Amino acid sequence: MMAEELIDTRLLEELTEQSQDLNSDAVRITREALAEYAQGEPEPRRRRWRRGSVLAGAAGGAVLLGAARAAAAGPSDDIMALQTAASIENLAVTVYTTAAGLPFIKGGNATVAAFIAKTTTQHTAHAQAFNAAATQAGGKAQTAANPKYAAVVQQMLPSIKTPADVVKLAITLEDVAAETYTANVSQVSTPALRKLFGSVAPVEAQHRATLLAVQALLAGGAPQLITIPTDAAKLPSAAGSVGFPDSFYPTKNASPISEGAVK
Amino acid sequence: MSTVNGGWELPISEGELSRMTRDLDQAHREYLPSMYAAANDLSEQLRDSDALAQAQAQAQAQAQEERQRVASRRRFLVGAGGAAAALALAACSSSKSTKAAAAPGSTTGAASSGSSGSSGTTPSTSTSSSGASVYTGDLKVVALATALENQAVGAYTAALAAAKAGKLGTVPPAVGTFASTAMSQHADHAKAWNAVLTGANVPAITGVPLSNQPATLSALGAVTDVGGVAKLALQLEDQAAQTYLFAVANVTSPGGIATAASIAPVEAMHAAILNFVIGQYPVPDDFLSTTMAASPTLLTV
Repeated sequence: MMAEELIDTRLLEELTEQSQDLNSDAVRITREALAEYAQGEPEPRRRRWRRGSVLAGAAGGAVLLGAARAAAAGPSDDIMALQTAASIENLAVTVYTTAAGLPFIKGGNATVAAFIAKTTTQHTAHAQAFNAAATQAGGKAQTAANPKYAAVVQQMLPSIKTPADVVKLAITLEDVAAETYTANVSQVSTPALRKLFGSVAPVEAQHRATLLAVQALLAGGAPQLITIPTDAAKLPSAAGSVGFPDSFYPTKNASPISEGAVK
Repeated sequence: MSTVNGGWELPISEGELSRMTRDLDQAHREYLPSMYAAANDLSEQLRDSDALAQAQAQAQAQAQEERQRVASRRRFLVGAGGAAAALALAACSSSKSTKAAAAPGSTTGAASSGSSGSSGTTPSTSTSSSGASVYTGDLKVVALATALENQAVGAYTAALAAAKAGKLGTVPPAVGTFASTAMSQHADHAKAWNAVLTGANVPAITGVPLSNQPATLSALGAVTDVGGVAKLALQLEDQAAQTYLFAVANVTSPGGIATAASIAPVEAMHAAILNFVIGQYPVPDDFLSTTMAASPTLLTV
């Protein structure tokens, strides 16, 4: 029976690409760990740590996870990360606002249009939150769009002719936002900022999940199922999993904290 | 056998290639979570060397201070000619220490019974010889996360079994795919967290040592249709995502923070698709909250 199966080469390519992504993530993590190991303490200190971990464990301390340790970042890094985040949000607001005015969106699928409207307000709220935190930390609010991705958007705009094109661009932006904030959680210096980034990243990931499902339905020729409530019984099987392709949210495309900082 | 497909000439059968691709994907999925956690752990151990050294120095200083205090007290008592009083005081101190250590153990014992066999982790392997939980500090949050992931895996497993047995009526294909994929990802998360626990020389959590597990099982047993299962799954996904948000703000370990940060969005994505499937708006909130986050006090080990 297996020998009669036809290979979906597109799926195979996707799987291969996913496999490569997984591998590159693993290699990156391992390299980082080994690089840190190489730059780490001399042997006696490592040995002392190992002995210490047993003692600390007996004392009921947080052994593996370490004692309280200030994050490496300082206030200036925090401000840059917040400004970069605001720049991504500003760009998202601009893109969604522009998309909402396109004739094939305005006069197209009502659910897609409603999603764009709601998502615009959510990105606006995120930008405000990031800028409020930046000014509270002593920095300036970032009112401009992220320069790197603004250029990407500019380049893609002429080729946007259909709802699927808009969805594809939006997926890119949502993923950059989610990856950046997921990385930022580990880069900022206070629990409050970790919570701020940690509370926004999942929302961008939800936008991406929804858009991935919409993309699949558009590609599958089932735009009528892009409605709320949808007809779950008619959804293709893949619609159940296409929205969350990774077990762990990646950060390989995360923007550096300086990317959208106010100059 | 060669197969030409999409312009590719394949030197093996399509079935064999499909099996190999599936095996490769499965191997990645099984291996990477542990590696991810282990690599993070390694980095973190090295980064935290200074903090640990400081903690050790502080502990040694405290121990020295305590020795001096005891010596001082003994000198006072001896000076007062009260050797018997000194012994009595020592006995009192010892008694107090014993009671303080026993208290968490008694709590653990009571709570463990609450999990009524749902936990695969026996209390004897997860408590110290004094009866106190071995999951303390950040490790308690890690243990909670593992238990929540196991709870989700169990719920999806039960739901899929019920669906297969025809107990949920007609199950849309997308819902079946959702359940099996989400379950697999929760299993990945549990593996990553268990790698952290075993790396810290505390037992892995293979069951669901949560005080709310009986209620969850009861709710799961009561549902009779796909919509009911989806709503219950949505609660678990929301709870998991929000617990990870609580974790990123409350744990101190860089590795723990990074892992929680990378899982929260995935649980939120599960919730978005579930919302869509059950006819609700997929992204209802501007910000993830922590109102539904599980409390570490739910943990029964």
